[in-house]
Amino acid sequence: MELKYFILRRSLVIIPTLMGLTVITFILLWGLGPELIYRGINSSPKVNIPLSQQALILSQNGFSAAVVNGKLVFTNPIGMYFNFVSDLFRGNWGYIIGQPLTAPTLQAIEFYFPNTIQLAVGATVMALLIAMPLGTYIGARPNSASDQVGRIFSLSGYALPAFWLGLVLIVLFGNNGTAGFGNGTSGNTPVGIIPYLNIFPYFGNGTEFLSTTAPKGFFSSTFGQTLPTHIFLIDSLIAGKLNYFVIALAHMVLPVATVTYGVLAGILRFIRAGMVDASGQEFVKTARAKGVPEGQVIKKHIRKNALLPTVTVLGLLISGLLGGVVTVEIVFNYKGIGWLAVQAALNYQAWGILAITFLFGIILMVTNLIVDVVYAFMDPRIRY
Amino acid sequence: MVEDVIGTDLLDIQGEKSYHPRTEQLLATARSFLSYKASVVGLVITAIYFIFALVDWVYPAILGIPAATFNNMTTYSPFAIGTISGGINNDGIFRPGLAHGFPYLLGGTIFNFPLLLGMIASLRFDIGYSVLVVFTGAAIGSSVGVIAGYLGRWADELLMRLTDIFFSIPFLILIIAFSLAFTSFFNSSLTAMIVALIIVWWPTYARLSRSLALSTKSLNYVEAATAAGSSKTRNIFYHVFPNVLSPIFVQISLDLGSVILIFATLAFLGVAGSQISNYTFPELGQLISSGSSTFQTTFTGVHLGTPVIWWPIIIPGIFLLIFTVSINLFGDGLRDALDPRLRK
Repeated sequence: MELKYFILRRSLVIIPTLMGLTVITFILLWGLGPELIYRGINSSPKVNIPLSQQALILSQNGFSAAVVNGKLVFTNPIGMYFNFVSDLFRGNWGYIIGQPLTAPTLQAIEFYFPNTIQLAVGATVMALLIAMPLGTYIGARPNSASDQVGRIFSLSGYALPAFWLGLVLIVLFGNNGTAGFGNGTSGNTPVGIIPYLNIFPYFGNGTEFLSTTAPKGFFSSTFGQTLPTHIFLIDSLIAGKLNYFVIALAHMVLPVATVTYGVLAGILRFIRAGMVDASGQEFVKTARAKGVPEGQVIKKHIRKNALLPTVTVLGLLISGLLGGVVTVEIVFNYKGIGWLAVQAALNYQAWGILAITFLFGIILMVTNLIVDVVYAFMDPRIRY
Repeated sequence: MVEDVIGTDLLDIQGEKSYHPRTEQLLATARSFLSYKASVVGLVITAIYFIFALVDWVYPAILGIPAATFNNMTTYSPFAIGTISGGINNDGIFRPGLAHGFPYLLGGTIFNFPLLLGMIASLRFDIGYSVLVVFTGAAIGSSVGVIAGYLGRWADELLMRLTDIFFSIPFLILIIAFSLAFTSFFNSSLTAMIVALIIVWWPTYARLSRSLALSTKSLNYVEAATAAGSSKTRNIFYHVFPNVLSPIFVQISLDLGSVILIFATLAFLGVAGSQISNYTFPELGQLISSGSSTFQTTFTGVHLGTPVIWWPIIIPGIFLLIFTVSINLFGDGLRDALDPRLRK
């Protein structure tokens, strides 16, 4: 099959998957039911509002509800589904009301997403920096002692709950404050039990301390984000404020370490398998027979071929990151998209839950598409 | 049966004790499994955990845990167990040590819940529901997968697209959303969470068994069965399904560990609502989160205990880690033992 037909076929497959995704999100909406969705919209249950009024408020928010036999029910599921789908694709994603904030869902995502990007990119860079050399080293020596250590390391990555690892890091290295990095209102309050190393802040991304001290134009207090990119690390560099940059960096250490450990295990295993696979090939034997030095064989012949299937790691990485950031953001009170998702879910914010489910689904689908296409481009055998 | 006769004859010639070929195969698998030391250790530790969970389920009083249903919150109340005079420090926290009696050997949470009892009591919930989720998911998934893989064509395509959807949403988000959406339907957040986990879990098994069925159905013996007049249904359940089972059991053993982690994570996030995020319900993740609340409250100014109370976080976590690592080791060994090509 030619590459362009492969890409076409692979892209078309996304359409039914996307429709299925909307059906699933709609089932979630339907399952939540009008009562909980109303509770999400109006979180003050003390005020006794008649059901007809509740139904009216629900329909103003895009849910066709009515009172039947003294109970609040959804009416017209088909119509509601099509309304819902058209709303989803037009980017009309409703509102998050009350908890954890009041804003249009899309705007809330826009403000929280950069924080997650900062965390995810940090973890990706760290994971690749560690996994590439380590995987090459281990993969070149299968069944050696270092391979066994690597296997245990991978295994513990699967067996550790991410939130627990985060908590352990706090117990060891945590500091409640900006801890010797200057400019903190809470100062240095060591919480971790390791002396001298308990300097790493574990609450948020550092912007929490800005509200009183930051200059105008650098900090927007509405959502607690820096301007203009909302990524604290980059904004502090743009503004030329090195002390802010250090604060941002200090806040990243523990969350990034936690996420990295979670995704590292899978990547390491993958690279090792690729190396072992490639080293059994005939051209490797030929290279050795020619008298190519062992270091060159590993670098030029084995690793280059092992890295090819590692492209699929990208898909693995993204899905691992999207899942991993949720718990890590909760543990570290790091206000990213995963934090928003859990807060929205716990507060019955229907649109918040649906929008983030949908968004994550699309991100993962597009990543998988890109991975497949890149892989097909690099390895013609895959275009079945 | 023909192979019975041949098998027995051959073994008789060699002068060894003869068994049924199936028994022989089982023994070979067992011998192979026993040669992996790490996996045997994993099996033993896993078995100990399961025994604790079973004893706690059948007769909790043996372990000093009050008999109670899961709905009876008061029996597990920290204040019911924890009111031992003189056992509490000034800050109201049990510290590890034997000074306060056996249940407090590993200390207590900030709510005076004895950790040792809490951890053992949580096994019933954690292991019991993990087994429920994984086995139900595996049963549904593998049946669907084998049928779709055997029938091929549209059934196969449909299954692949359906599982694509489930794999395209990060499962934690999906579980949280599902368990919330189903809470009002089942009138119980716990049931909703279990159902949500099963919904999220079956596609893995469907994919796995589908690919296994695809490779099995083209094997000669299945074609021979078809030629002998075996129907499609008979082919699927008598000839293809048994050959798909062993990789599925390996996957089950590995997944038991993952589901416990997810339970812990969900309890930590407080997803299952009052039923398990309540401080009176024993669950490993909930025990850990009750420990973590010590320094999450520090930020709001209430600093409970200096130095930091590490044991309610570290100890249940290590307890959980030992289980997940053991079951992973066991699963790895099982995979190698069940696959004759990997045998030493």
